[in-house]
Amino acid sequence: MERMIAVDKLARPEDHILLRSDRVRNARAEQGITPNSPMPYEDDFLKSRMHGICAGEFQAMEAAGRTLYDFPDAPWEFQLDMARQVWDESRHAEIYMKLLEYVGSYYGEFPEGEVLWSCTQAEDPAARVAGINRGLEGLACDVFEQLIRLAQNMGDEVIERAVDYVLADEITHVRMGSKWMRKLTEGDPERLKRAQAFQDSIDDVFNFGNGRTFVENAEHVKQRIGEKEFEIDRSITIAREARLLAGFTEEEIDRLVKGFRKSAAY
Amino acid sequence: MADLGFRENVMGPQPIGKIVEQPPEVREAADHFIHALMRGDIDAAKAMTEPQAYDDLKTLAAAIAPERHDKIEYIGGARIARHFFLKVRLPGTPPVKFQFRLGQNPAGEWTMREANDLTGRRSAWSR
Repeated sequence: MERMIAVDKLARPEDHILLRSDRVRNARAEQGITPNSPMPYEDDFLKSRMHGICAGEFQAMEAAGRTLYDFPDAPWEFQLDMARQVWDESRHAEIYMKLLEYVGSYYGEFPEGEVLWSCTQAEDPAARVAGINRGLEGLACDVFEQLIRLAQNMGDEVIERAVDYVLADEITHVRMGSKWMRKLTEGDPERLKRAQAFQDSIDDVFNFGNGRTFVENAEHVKQRIGEKEFEIDRSITIAREARLLAGFTEEEIDRLVKGFRKSAAY
Repeated sequence: MADLGFRENVMGPQPIGKIVEQPPEVREAADHFIHALMRGDIDAAKAMTEPQAYDDLKTLAAAIAPERHDKIEYIGGARIARHFFLKVRLPGTPPVKFQFRLGQNPAGEWTMREANDLTGRRSAWSR
Protein backbone atom coordinates (compact mmCIF):
# COMPACT_ATOMS: atom_id res chain seq x y z
CA MET A 1 0.00 0.00 0.00
CA GLU A 2 1.24 3.46 -0.84
CA ARG A 3 1.52 5.68 2.21
CA MET A 4 2.29 9.37 2.42
CA ILE A 5 0.91 10.25 -0.98
CA ALA A 6 2.40 13.23 -2.80
CA VAL A 7 0.54 16.50 -2.53
CA ASP A 8 -0.02 16.50 -6.31
CA LYS A 9 -2.29 13.49 -5.89
CA LEU A 10 -4.86 15.49 -3.95
CA ALA A 11 -7.83 16.09 -6.23
CA ARG A 12 -8.73 19.70 -6.94
CA PRO A 13 -10.98 21.38 -9.52
CA GLU A 14 -9.06 22.16 -12.69
CA ASP A 15 -9.85 25.86 -12.45
CA HIS A 16 -7.96 26.23 -9.16
CA ILE A 17 -4.46 27.66 -8.96
CA LEU A 18 -2.23 25.45 -6.83
CA LEU A 19 1.14 26.82 -5.96
CA ARG A 20 4.15 26.03 -3.81
CA SER A 21 4.32 28.26 -0.77
CA ASP A 22 7.65 29.82 -1.75
CA ARG A 23 6.02 31.12 -4.93
CA VAL A 24 3.18 32.62 -2.88
CA ARG A 25 5.76 34.37 -0.70
CA ASN A 26 7.60 35.68 -3.77
CA ALA A 27 4.38 37.14 -5.19
CA ARG A 28 3.69 38.89 -1.89
CA ALA A 29 7.25 40.22 -1.59
CA GLU A 30 7.14 41.66 -5.12
CA GLN A 31 4.12 43.71 -4.11
CA GLY A 32 5.70 45.00 -0.93
CA ILE A 33 3.60 42.75 1.33
CA THR A 34 5.61 41.11 4.12
CA PRO A 35 6.33 37.70 2.61
CA ASN A 36 6.93 35.65 5.76
CA SER A 37 4.32 37.17 8.01
CA PRO A 38 1.50 34.89 9.10
CA MET A 39 -0.83 37.89 8.88
CA PRO A 40 -1.90 38.88 5.38
CA TYR A 41 -1.50 42.70 5.92
CA GLU A 42 -3.25 43.68 2.74
CA ASP A 43 -6.59 45.11 1.64
CA ASP A 44 -7.99 41.60 1.49
CA PHE A 45 -6.98 40.71 5.02
CA LEU A 46 -10.15 38.82 5.96
CA LYS A 47 -10.62 37.18 2.56
CA SER A 48 -7.05 36.03 2.42
CA ARG A 49 -7.05 34.74 6.00
CA MET A 50 -10.31 32.84 5.56
CA HIS A 51 -9.21 31.44 2.22
CA GLY A 52 -6.07 30.04 3.81
CA ILE A 53 -8.12 28.47 6.61
CA CYS A 54 -10.65 27.04 4.15
CA ALA A 55 -7.84 25.38 2.18
CA GLY A 56 -6.50 24.10 5.50
CA GLU A 57 -9.87 22.55 6.32
CA PHE A 58 -9.90 20.70 3.00
CA GLN A 59 -6.39 19.40 3.56
CA ALA A 60 -7.24 18.46 7.17
CA MET A 61 -10.24 16.50 5.91
CA GLU A 62 -8.01 14.70 3.40
CA ALA A 63 -5.32 14.09 6.02
CA ALA A 64 -7.75 12.49 8.49
CA GLY A 65 -9.22 10.36 5.69
CA ARG A 66 -5.77 9.34 4.60
CA THR A 67 -4.81 8.39 8.18
CA LEU A 68 -7.91 6.22 8.38
CA TYR A 69 -6.98 4.51 5.11
CA ASP A 70 -3.26 4.17 5.79
CA PHE A 71 -3.53 2.33 9.10
CA PRO A 72 -6.12 -0.44 8.77
CA ASP A 73 -4.62 -2.34 11.70
CA ALA A 74 -5.02 0.54 14.15
CA PRO A 75 -7.63 0.09 16.91
CA TRP A 76 -11.25 0.38 15.83
CA GLU A 77 -11.80 3.38 18.13
CA PHE A 78 -8.87 5.15 16.47
CA GLN A 79 -10.45 4.61 13.07
CA LEU A 80 -13.79 5.87 14.37
CA ASP A 81 -12.14 9.05 15.66
CA MET A 82 -10.46 9.63 12.28
CA ALA A 83 -13.77 9.05 10.46
CA ARG A 84 -15.47 11.51 12.76
CA GLN A 85 -12.74 14.02 12.06
CA VAL A 86 -13.23 13.68 8.29
CA TRP A 87 -16.89 14.56 8.80
CA ASP A 88 -16.03 17.48 11.11
CA GLU A 89 -13.48 18.92 8.68
CA SER A 90 -15.90 18.65 5.77
CA ARG A 91 -18.41 20.72 7.76
CA HIS A 92 -15.67 23.23 8.55
CA ALA A 93 -14.81 23.50 4.86
CA GLU A 94 -18.47 24.25 4.12
CA ILE A 95 -18.62 26.83 6.90
CA TYR A 96 -15.53 28.61 5.60
CA MET A 97 -16.84 28.51 2.03
CA LYS A 98 -19.93 30.30 3.32
CA LEU A 99 -17.81 32.74 5.30
CA LEU A 100 -15.80 33.45 2.15
CA GLU A 101 -19.03 34.36 0.36
CA TYR A 102 -19.97 36.46 3.37
CA VAL A 103 -16.80 38.56 3.10
CA GLY A 104 -17.11 38.93 -0.69
CA SER A 105 -14.85 36.14 -1.81
CA TYR A 106 -15.08 32.55 -3.03
CA TYR A 107 -13.02 29.41 -2.73
CA GLY A 108 -10.42 29.59 -5.50
CA GLU A 109 -10.01 33.38 -5.48
CA PHE A 110 -6.48 32.91 -4.11
CA PRO A 111 -3.92 30.17 -4.80
CA GLU A 112 -3.84 27.14 -2.51
CA GLY A 113 -0.49 26.19 -0.99
CA GLU A 114 0.88 22.77 -0.12
CA VAL A 115 2.63 23.43 3.17
CA LEU A 116 -0.04 21.89 5.43
CA TRP A 117 -0.05 18.62 3.51
CA SER A 118 3.71 18.43 3.80
CA CYS A 119 3.19 18.32 7.59
CA THR A 120 1.20 15.10 7.39
CA GLN A 121 4.03 12.93 6.12
CA ALA A 122 4.64 10.39 8.91
CA GLU A 123 4.71 6.60 8.62
CA ASP A 124 3.65 5.96 12.22
CA PRO A 125 0.01 6.63 13.22
CA ALA A 126 1.21 7.97 16.60
CA ALA A 127 3.43 10.52 14.84
CA ARG A 128 0.69 11.27 12.32
CA VAL A 129 -1.82 12.25 15.02
CA ALA A 130 0.88 14.08 16.97
CA GLY A 131 1.66 16.16 13.89
CA ILE A 132 -1.82 16.68 12.49
CA ASN A 133 -4.04 16.66 15.58
CA ARG A 134 -1.69 18.27 18.05
CA GLY A 135 0.57 20.34 15.78
CA LEU A 136 -1.74 21.58 13.03
CA GLU A 137 -5.00 21.49 14.98
CA GLY A 138 -3.23 23.20 17.88
CA LEU A 139 -2.24 25.94 15.43
CA ALA A 140 -5.89 26.08 14.31
CA CYS A 141 -6.91 26.75 17.93
CA ASP A 142 -4.52 29.72 17.99
CA VAL A 143 -5.68 31.08 14.63
CA PHE A 144 -9.39 30.69 15.39
CA GLU A 145 -9.19 32.26 18.84
CA GLN A 146 -7.51 35.24 17.22
CA LEU A 147 -10.13 35.44 14.47
CA ILE A 148 -12.92 35.35 17.08
CA ARG A 149 -11.33 38.28 18.93
CA LEU A 150 -11.02 40.20 15.67
CA ALA A 151 -14.69 39.53 14.86
CA GLN A 152 -15.66 40.75 18.34
CA ASN A 153 -13.59 43.86 17.71
CA MET A 154 -15.43 44.36 14.41
CA GLY A 155 -18.80 43.68 16.03
CA ASP A 156 -19.41 40.89 13.52
CA GLU A 157 -21.42 38.13 15.20
CA VAL A 158 -21.65 36.00 12.06
CA ILE A 159 -17.89 35.46 11.89
CA GLU A 160 -17.54 35.28 15.67
CA ARG A 161 -20.12 32.52 16.12
CA ALA A 162 -19.24 30.53 13.03
CA VAL A 163 -15.56 30.39 13.98
CA ASP A 164 -16.37 29.62 17.61
CA TYR A 165 -18.40 26.64 16.42
CA VAL A 166 -15.43 25.36 14.42
CA LEU A 167 -13.01 26.00 17.28
CA ALA A 168 -15.06 23.72 19.54
CA ASP A 169 -14.42 20.85 17.12
CA GLU A 170 -10.72 21.64 16.79
CA ILE A 171 -10.34 21.41 20.56
CA THR A 172 -11.85 17.93 20.38
CA HIS A 173 -9.46 16.98 17.58
CA VAL A 174 -6.45 18.01 19.64
CA ARG A 175 -7.76 15.94 22.54
CA MET A 176 -8.13 12.96 20.22
CA GLY A 177 -4.56 13.47 19.05
CA SER A 178 -3.22 13.60 22.59
CA LYS A 179 -5.17 10.50 23.56
CA TRP A 180 -3.98 8.42 20.61
CA MET A 181 -0.41 9.65 20.66
CA ARG A 182 -0.16 8.40 24.26
CA LYS A 183 -2.21 5.23 23.81
CA LEU A 184 -0.42 4.05 20.68
CA THR A 185 2.98 4.55 22.31
CA GLU A 186 2.18 2.95 25.67
CA GLY A 187 5.23 1.05 26.95
CA ASP A 188 7.38 2.41 24.11
CA PRO A 189 8.99 5.69 25.25
CA GLU A 190 11.20 5.85 22.16
CA ARG A 191 8.18 5.77 19.89
CA LEU A 192 6.53 8.51 21.98
CA LYS A 193 9.70 10.58 21.68
CA ARG A 194 9.69 10.21 17.89
CA ALA A 195 6.03 11.22 17.71
CA GLN A 196 6.69 14.30 19.85
CA ALA A 197 9.72 15.17 17.73
CA PHE A 198 7.55 15.05 14.61
CA GLN A 199 5.08 17.41 16.27
CA ASP A 200 7.94 19.72 17.29
CA SER A 201 9.12 19.85 13.69
CA ILE A 202 5.65 21.01 12.65
CA ASP A 203 5.42 23.58 15.44
CA ASP A 204 8.77 24.91 14.17
CA VAL A 205 7.37 25.39 10.67
CA PHE A 206 4.68 27.65 12.08
CA ASN A 207 6.68 29.76 14.49
CA PHE A 208 6.69 32.59 11.92
CA GLY A 209 10.07 34.05 12.71
CA ASN A 210 9.86 34.22 16.49
CA GLY A 211 6.91 36.60 16.45
CA ARG A 212 4.45 34.42 18.37
CA THR A 213 3.46 35.30 21.91
CA PHE A 214 0.54 34.88 24.28
CA VAL A 215 -2.49 37.06 23.59
CA GLU A 216 -1.72 39.41 26.49
CA ASN A 217 1.82 40.10 25.20
CA ALA A 218 0.88 40.63 21.55
CA GLU A 219 1.97 43.78 19.74
CA HIS A 220 -0.71 45.41 17.65
CA VAL A 221 -0.84 47.06 14.25
CA LYS A 222 -3.55 48.95 12.39
CA GLN A 223 -5.30 47.02 9.64
CA ARG A 224 -7.95 48.34 7.28
CA ILE A 225 -10.85 45.90 6.85
CA GLY A 226 -13.53 47.19 4.49
CA GLU A 227 -14.35 50.78 5.39
CA LYS A 228 -12.90 50.73 8.88
CA GLU A 229 -9.54 50.39 10.53
CA PHE A 230 -8.98 47.90 13.34
CA GLU A 231 -6.14 46.98 15.66
CA ILE A 232 -4.94 43.47 15.00
CA ASP A 233 -2.19 41.35 16.54
CA ARG A 234 1.13 41.66 14.75
CA SER A 235 1.48 37.89 14.59
CA ILE A 236 -0.49 34.73 15.30
CA THR A 237 -0.85 34.53 19.06
CA ILE A 238 -0.87 31.44 21.27
CA ALA A 239 -4.32 30.70 22.66
CA ARG A 240 -3.36 29.38 26.08
CA GLU A 241 -6.96 28.88 27.27
CA ALA A 242 -8.06 27.03 24.13
CA ARG A 243 -4.93 24.89 24.24
CA LEU A 244 -5.54 24.03 27.90
CA LEU A 245 -9.11 23.10 27.03
CA ALA A 246 -7.70 20.93 24.28
CA GLY A 247 -5.63 19.00 26.77
CA PHE A 248 -2.20 20.56 26.31
CA THR A 249 -0.44 20.76 29.66
CA GLU A 250 1.07 24.01 30.98
CA GLU A 251 4.47 22.37 30.51
CA GLU A 252 3.71 21.59 26.86
CA ILE A 253 2.54 25.14 26.21
CA ASP A 254 5.67 26.55 27.84
CA ARG A 255 7.79 24.21 25.72
CA LEU A 256 5.96 25.48 22.63
CA VAL A 257 6.70 29.09 23.55
CA LYS A 258 10.36 28.32 24.24
CA GLY A 259 10.57 26.51 20.91
CA PHE A 260 9.13 29.54 19.14
CA ARG A 261 11.74 31.75 20.79
CA LYS A 262 14.73 29.68 19.79
CA SER A 263 13.70 28.64 16.31
CA ALA A 264 13.03 30.65 13.20
CA ALA A 265 12.46 27.88 10.72
CA TYR A 266 9.65 29.44 8.70
CA MET B 1 -19.06 27.16 -6.92
CA ALA B 2 -22.15 25.41 -5.62
CA ASP B 3 -24.71 27.64 -3.92
CA LEU B 4 -24.57 26.60 -0.30
CA GLY B 5 -27.79 28.47 0.55
CA PHE B 6 -29.33 29.09 3.97
CA ARG B 7 -28.49 32.76 4.10
CA GLU B 8 -31.90 34.01 5.19
CA ASN B 9 -31.10 33.31 8.84
CA VAL B 10 -28.05 35.58 8.69
CA MET B 11 -28.85 39.17 9.58
CA GLY B 12 -27.42 42.25 7.93
CA PRO B 13 -26.25 43.09 4.43
CA GLN B 14 -24.20 40.50 2.61
CA PRO B 15 -21.57 40.18 1.44
CA ILE B 16 -19.75 42.55 3.78
CA GLY B 17 -16.94 43.03 1.21
CA LYS B 18 -16.88 43.53 -2.54
CA ILE B 19 -15.80 40.82 -4.96
CA VAL B 20 -12.61 41.89 -6.72
CA GLU B 21 -12.93 41.59 -10.50
CA GLN B 22 -9.97 40.94 -12.74
CA PRO B 23 -9.23 44.16 -14.70
CA PRO B 24 -9.89 43.69 -18.45
CA GLU B 25 -6.30 44.81 -19.17
CA VAL B 26 -5.06 41.61 -17.52
CA ARG B 27 -6.83 39.43 -20.08
CA GLU B 28 -5.64 41.67 -22.92
CA ALA B 29 -2.04 41.34 -21.74
CA ALA B 30 -2.46 37.59 -21.30
CA ASP B 31 -3.84 37.25 -24.85
CA HIS B 32 -0.90 39.22 -26.19
CA PHE B 33 1.62 37.10 -24.28
CA ILE B 34 0.10 33.77 -25.25
CA HIS B 35 -0.30 34.69 -28.93
CA ALA B 36 3.39 35.58 -29.01
CA LEU B 37 4.23 32.13 -27.64
CA MET B 38 1.87 30.44 -30.11
CA ARG B 39 3.64 32.22 -32.98
CA GLY B 40 7.01 31.25 -31.57
CA ASP B 41 7.87 34.94 -31.17
CA ILE B 42 9.99 34.60 -28.05
CA ASP B 43 11.28 38.17 -28.28
CA ALA B 44 7.75 39.57 -28.05
CA ALA B 45 6.98 37.31 -25.09
CA LYS B 46 10.29 38.25 -23.45
CA ALA B 47 9.51 41.94 -23.89
CA MET B 48 6.62 41.53 -21.46
CA THR B 49 8.46 39.26 -19.02
CA GLU B 50 10.31 40.39 -15.90
CA PRO B 51 13.96 39.20 -15.80
CA GLN B 52 13.28 36.96 -12.79
CA ALA B 53 10.96 34.85 -14.99
CA TYR B 54 13.24 34.41 -18.02
CA ASP B 55 13.95 30.79 -17.06
CA ASP B 56 10.23 30.09 -16.65
CA LEU B 57 9.64 31.66 -20.07
CA LYS B 58 12.32 29.47 -21.62
CA THR B 59 10.65 26.34 -20.20
CA LEU B 60 7.25 27.48 -21.38
CA ALA B 61 8.45 28.39 -24.86
CA ALA B 62 10.04 24.95 -25.21
CA ALA B 63 6.70 23.32 -24.35
CA ILE B 64 4.68 25.27 -26.92
CA ALA B 65 5.43 24.22 -30.48
CA PRO B 66 5.10 27.27 -32.80
CA GLU B 67 2.12 27.46 -35.16
CA ARG B 68 0.49 24.33 -33.72
CA HIS B 69 -2.23 26.03 -31.70
CA ASP B 70 -4.96 28.42 -32.78
CA LYS B 71 -7.17 28.54 -29.73
CA ILE B 72 -6.73 29.70 -26.13
CA GLU B 73 -8.88 28.25 -23.36
CA TYR B 74 -8.73 30.13 -20.05
CA ILE B 75 -9.54 27.46 -17.50
CA GLY B 76 -8.74 29.09 -14.17
CA GLY B 77 -7.46 32.07 -12.28
CA ALA B 78 -6.59 33.43 -8.86
CA ARG B 79 -4.87 36.42 -7.39
CA ILE B 80 -2.47 37.47 -4.70
CA ALA B 81 -3.29 41.09 -3.85
CA ARG B 82 -2.95 42.90 -7.22
CA HIS B 83 -1.15 40.16 -9.13
CA PHE B 84 -3.27 37.77 -11.18
CA PHE B 85 -2.70 34.14 -12.06
CA LEU B 86 -4.20 32.68 -15.22
CA LYS B 87 -4.41 28.99 -16.06
CA VAL B 88 -4.57 28.21 -19.75
CA ARG B 89 -5.00 25.24 -22.05
CA LEU B 90 -3.93 25.30 -25.68
CA PRO B 91 -5.70 22.49 -27.52
CA GLY B 92 -3.83 21.15 -30.53
CA THR B 93 -0.98 18.80 -31.12
CA PRO B 94 0.39 18.38 -28.59
CA PRO B 95 -2.00 20.06 -26.12
CA VAL B 96 -0.34 22.30 -23.54
CA LYS B 97 -1.49 23.46 -20.12
CA PHE B 98 0.25 26.16 -18.08
CA GLN B 99 -0.30 28.92 -15.57
CA PHE B 100 1.40 32.27 -15.17
CA ARG B 101 1.25 35.41 -13.06
CA LEU B 102 0.83 38.95 -14.33
CA GLY B 103 1.56 42.08 -12.33
CA GLN B 104 1.76 45.75 -13.21
CA ASN B 105 5.20 47.35 -13.49
CA PRO B 106 5.83 50.99 -12.47
CA ALA B 107 5.04 52.05 -16.07
CA GLY B 108 1.59 50.53 -15.72
CA GLU B 109 2.27 47.60 -18.08
CA TRP B 110 1.16 44.10 -17.16
CA THR B 111 4.20 41.85 -17.18
CA MET B 112 4.75 38.14 -16.63
CA ARG B 113 6.34 37.37 -13.24
CA GLU B 114 6.38 33.56 -13.14
CA ALA B 115 5.07 30.61 -15.12
CA ASN B 116 4.61 26.88 -14.63
CA ASP B 117 4.24 24.34 -17.42
CA LEU B 118 1.47 22.05 -16.14
CA THR B 119 1.31 19.75 -19.16
CA GLY B 120 0.94 16.20 -17.90
CA ARG B 121 0.88 17.39 -14.29
CA ARG B 122 -1.94 17.92 -11.84
CA SER B 123 -0.65 21.08 -10.26
CA ALA B 124 2.32 23.33 -9.53
CA TRP B 125 2.41 22.07 -5.96
CA SER B 126 5.53 19.99 -6.40
CA ARG B 127 8.83 20.72 -8.12
